[in-house]
Amino acid sequence: MDWPAVAAAATIGVAPTMPIAVTLANRVVACSAAARAVGVRRGLRRREAQARCPELHVVAADPARDARHFERVTAAVDDLVPRAEVLRPGLSVLPVRGAARYFGSEQAAAEKLVDAVAAAGTECQVGIADQLPTAVFAARPGRIVEPGQDAVFLSGLSIRQLAAEPSLAPADRENLTDLLWRMGIRTVGQFAELPRGDVASRFGADAVTAHRIACGEPGRPPSGRDAEDELDAVMNCDPPIDRVDAAAFAGRSLASVLHRSLLAAGVGCTRLAIHAETTNGQELERVWRCAEPLTEDATADRVRWQLDGWLNRRHHQDRPCAPISVLRLRPVEVVSAEALQLPLWGGLGEEDRLRARRALVRVQGLLGPDAVKVPILSGGRSPIERITFIPLGDEPVPAANPDQPWPGQLPEPSPTVLLDDPVEVLDVDGNPVRVTARGLFTADPVRLEAPGCTGRLSWWAGPWPVDERWWDAAAEARSGRAARAQVLVGSGATARALLLCYRQRRWYLEGAYE
Amino acid sequence: MSGKATAKVGGGRRAVAAETGLPIDHDSLLPMPESLAELLPGSLPRGTVAVVSGARSLEVSLVAAVTAEGGHVAIVGRPDLGLLAAVEMGADLSRIAVVAHPGADPVEVAAVLMDGMDLVVLGLGGRSVPASRARALVARARQRGCTLLVADGDWQGASTRLEARVSGYEIAGGRDGVPTPGCGRISRVRLAMRARGRSVRPVRAVGG
Repeated sequence: MDWPAVAAAATIGVAPTMPIAVTLANRVVACSAAARAVGVRRGLRRREAQARCPELHVVAADPARDARHFERVTAAVDDLVPRAEVLRPGLSVLPVRGAARYFGSEQAAAEKLVDAVAAAGTECQVGIADQLPTAVFAARPGRIVEPGQDAVFLSGLSIRQLAAEPSLAPADRENLTDLLWRMGIRTVGQFAELPRGDVASRFGADAVTAHRIACGEPGRPPSGRDAEDELDAVMNCDPPIDRVDAAAFAGRSLASVLHRSLLAAGVGCTRLAIHAETTNGQELERVWRCAEPLTEDATADRVRWQLDGWLNRRHHQDRPCAPISVLRLRPVEVVSAEALQLPLWGGLGEEDRLRARRALVRVQGLLGPDAVKVPILSGGRSPIERITFIPLGDEPVPAANPDQPWPGQLPEPSPTVLLDDPVEVLDVDGNPVRVTARGLFTADPVRLEAPGCTGRLSWWAGPWPVDERWWDAAAEARSGRAARAQVLVGSGATARALLLCYRQRRWYLEGAYE
Repeated sequence: MSGKATAKVGGGRRAVAAETGLPIDHDSLLPMPESLAELLPGSLPRGTVAVVSGARSLEVSLVAAVTAEGGHVAIVGRPDLGLLAAVEMGADLSRIAVVAHPGADPVEVAAVLMDGMDLVVLGLGGRSVPASRARALVARARQRGCTLLVADGDWQGASTRLEARVSGYEIAGGRDGVPTPGCGRISRVRLAMRARGRSVRPVRAVGG
């Protein structure tokens, strides 16, 4: 609240402990603590303030000066905890979760912040709460509000506090608090007790916002992502786009705008949200993930494919019901430009690879990013575990390390058909065959009953017990003993070789060799 | 006319490539597994549509052969294909992409993928593609030089039809070479393959 006074003191070269008042249009808008102690208040006329405190330093308000001086504080806070958002000069918010975990507790994080700001030459107060507005109110007394106690903390505050913070309240909030005060609603708690519907019908939209704050309900949390808003590329399409060729044209120019701003910021984009609004207000958005930062051409292609996908959906009811009027590209995730290292000349077969990739990315545009997957080798014992499928564009990380030895892995060849169907394995008397604790069949298997391939077993091998995750009690209880076996169903030319897996006291058909 | 050849899949062993000596332009042909190339010389040029049926090893070995030669493969609508088997046959997984669930119209997805791939394996899920639509895709395949391998369905007017059937299994570790229940493991799958089509003389091969 006093930041303009602090900034003014720094400019005119007096200590911030002296009585200082910042005036705008002949009224005091901010004053230092020393001035407040002798009766100077916000809203007082300048002459009257000087009468109450003859040695008062009076300075004209200058928002640019406030911001300039606050930059130093922001930098100090940013060094300690990144991603601070400035609400106004003098007030900044940051997500505390990471900082609290790093420094050990919220208390410790708050102390570190106070120290860091003190090192930058200013005093500060820290408030921590679940919701942003509550945290702002908590910062005045320097309180740390326990999780879930936002409403309790707020209920004791005066109703006038709701209008006191200019970055949280519009200019006419004072009318609302004044009215509430005159109606006998003196504290935030009393206001919060009113039903939301009554508040909305009697006092209007701003009162609902105030009521949400009073109840400690979640609003927009501070986040580092919002800081990248200025990188957005927006295009108002006139005439609205309803054909793919027009979309391609728009995509190309929008991509060049986006890349100019990315270039200026020195970053590359690895996740891009394509957002479209139709003329009757329908909104469509899809986020594109890419392992390597997007080039301008790649961005243009994605915009074109995405719009192609939206405009030409197979089912009429899925298509946007009106032409697209606003197109916005938002970089959701950026990396510093050093990560982008394009080869000077394409490598061997590079062109083929890019051609294949473009075709796959187009299919992603039609079916969604998770529809196209690339397989990579993974560690494991069953044929299914040994291949991990990663959505195209994501970093290829196998589920388990394939270079580890994995004892008990099935030898070559692997089944060419992978299945997962429950089946029955029966012995000569028609009783189900199980696997004992010693890893043996309870009886020789004789017959297999499965949809499509029921028959006598002409050969079998196994069971080969799978000794996995015995250290994990929960997983062990879930899967129990596991074993695999190979069987040959039928004989002669009609025989089929199958891979069976025993788990959870049942047999499953895991694969077929064919 | 019929010829006999050996076709074996699995076991990590591969037959020695046979010099066919036939005047075939290799650039216009899709890379084939050696067992199949020997058996069906020139049966699968690039830019054609082939229908495969029967044993799955045929598709898997084609995928392996094409990627091993540096081609790109997309597998559409075949979620149960065992890619580990393809790796064992020499496939390069980084050149494979899988669209397991292509939605209501797998043919459309395959048509888009033809732009960039050397081989598209399309599982139709028992459906059949009418001749009018098939013609448009065949033209596209020829123009792009992409081979479309249709499985689990029918394609009107496909130029080649490949059929594979398991003719027997080899079991390692039996007593005296006779498979004994409780002993050994499956070491090899023997296939019998047959090709029909406009560009090939009817060829039958029996594995042994």
